[in-house]
Amino acid sequence: MAMLTVTRIVTLTFLSWLAVVTVSFFVLRLVPGDPVDIYINQMNINASGDVKALYRAAWGLDRSVIQQYGIWLFGFLTLNWGDSFVLGKPVLSILSAGLRWSAAIGITGFALALITGFCLGYAAALRPRRIADKLSRALAVGGQSLPAFAVGLILLWVLAVKLQIIRPFSGGNVENLLLPILLVAFFSTGSISRITRAAFNEVAAAPYMRTAVAKGHSQASALWFHGRRHAVIVLMAGIAPDLAWIVGGTAVSEVVFAVPGLSERLIAAVTTRDYPVLQSYLAIIAFWIVVGLQLAGALRRHLDPRLREAL
Amino acid sequence: MKHNLSRNVTLWMCLMWALLTISGLVWQPHNPHSVDLTGSFQLPSALHWLGTDHLGRDVASRLMIGAQTSLFAIFIVLCGSLVVGLIAGTIIAVAPSSIASFVRWLAQTTLAIPTLIMALFLAALIGPGLYSIALALIISAWAPYALSIAALVDRLRAEQFWRASLALGASPLNVVIRHLLPNTWPVIGALAGADAGRAVILVTSLGFLGLSADTGQPEWGAMIYEYRMFLFSAPHLVLAPVFTTALSALLLNIALDR
Repeated sequence: MAMLTVTRIVTLTFLSWLAVVTVSFFVLRLVPGDPVDIYINQMNINASGDVKALYRAAWGLDRSVIQQYGIWLFGFLTLNWGDSFVLGKPVLSILSAGLRWSAAIGITGFALALITGFCLGYAAALRPRRIADKLSRALAVGGQSLPAFAVGLILLWVLAVKLQIIRPFSGGNVENLLLPILLVAFFSTGSISRITRAAFNEVAAAPYMRTAVAKGHSQASALWFHGRRHAVIVLMAGIAPDLAWIVGGTAVSEVVFAVPGLSERLIAAVTTRDYPVLQSYLAIIAFWIVVGLQLAGALRRHLDPRLREAL
Repeated sequence: MKHNLSRNVTLWMCLMWALLTISGLVWQPHNPHSVDLTGSFQLPSALHWLGTDHLGRDVASRLMIGAQTSLFAIFIVLCGSLVVGLIAGTIIAVAPSSIASFVRWLAQTTLAIPTLIMALFLAALIGPGLYSIALALIISAWAPYALSIAALVDRLRAEQFWRASLALGASPLNVVIRHLLPNTWPVIGALAGADAGRAVILVTSLGFLGLSADTGQPEWGAMIYEYRMFLFSAPHLVLAPVFTTALSALLLNIALDR
């Protein structure tokens, strides 16, 4: 039974990933702009039709779009991601170098935001209008109304210029990653803590809380033991915007702090229509979001028996 | 009492900001484009309110003219996503279930698309410009409107006045305009405040990434990008547009979120 559910979830995840990747593949091809023309323009050469045809054949653009899609998809799944048009190097090696940095920033930042946001939300629900509640509200408002790169620049200015605590560009790996991770986490913590606080508040109003306190639990332990499961369920239901933010936030912090991550080549790849790089990039992003959403859903179903019927 | 006071203060700040932004479109203390290499890197003074940049251009004037792009973004995001969200929300609530569940799925999926990445792709694909910014803003902002309007319609449909007006022969469109729209404002207000703020931030972020509408025209994000190399030598250059953006987004959030 458990095996069956796992197989089902994996199939479902793969299918939604495939749908996203397929749509983005064809949308990318529909957009005007020919990679060969752009490349030749950039090289400043006066190319004849023969040269263009040669490039087109070398890049596999002479086949039909359906064939290109099949070749790319098969290659992607077998870890043969093709060569970048512009750089001529294998996409796998270009992206995997960047992915290491981006994943370190994104996943650590996300985990940090989840943990601190959850704890802050719990503390805020426990003592409304006290310091934790105010902090969580300030973080939520700040996260909504401050531009990420601006906060990054201000962090740089305060920590590196004024206080000179860290050397962001020349230090070791940990020193380089610290600010980007903090930046990514900063913008998610507020909203996560507000969702958590609201969920804990629902529990605090429930009649069984009064029973638990009457049995001798303190307010804090009753809320924690009776509320944490509900809070996680609610939090997992509203995680989609945060999953999306992690991608954008990681990209911004890579630009601000000059980290050689995934998005380093992104803008150049878009403007030159470097299809192999773009498709693989989008496939990675889609993988993160689809898997994240499915995991969140699976966790909710695991924690809340009432949701299991739905699958 | 204290609450009232802080509310008044923010209200006045919002009005000041709006006045400054709108008047800044027609009048600036200096020509924002005039270069004066002998007077570069001046600190803020009575003559140059926020100092001058590396080419001796007046930073305050450039900020004022740069507000144009941000105002346009706010306008687009409010009008566009309200219209799209209203239509999609009504479809979710009223249409046959196959169409409705597709639109609902579409809205929920859109929530998971990274806005900035989407905007970046659009800007680079269609060409940097106001159209791609507008499109990206609408694509990323319509879903919450649609979902909350659908929930609202669901709730309203159980109400007596809704069924009564349909029974009395009012057309569905009429019912939507007469009964749905007035009821949406409390729901939409908070969303609109957050979205107007996000629109300002997104436009500035795109400018910072080098995808602003028109590179000849001063724009907050582009200014931050241009001045960021002087972060260590002349921090006021970077901090001026940074604080302008943050303050605008913050004030919009506070002003519209009632």
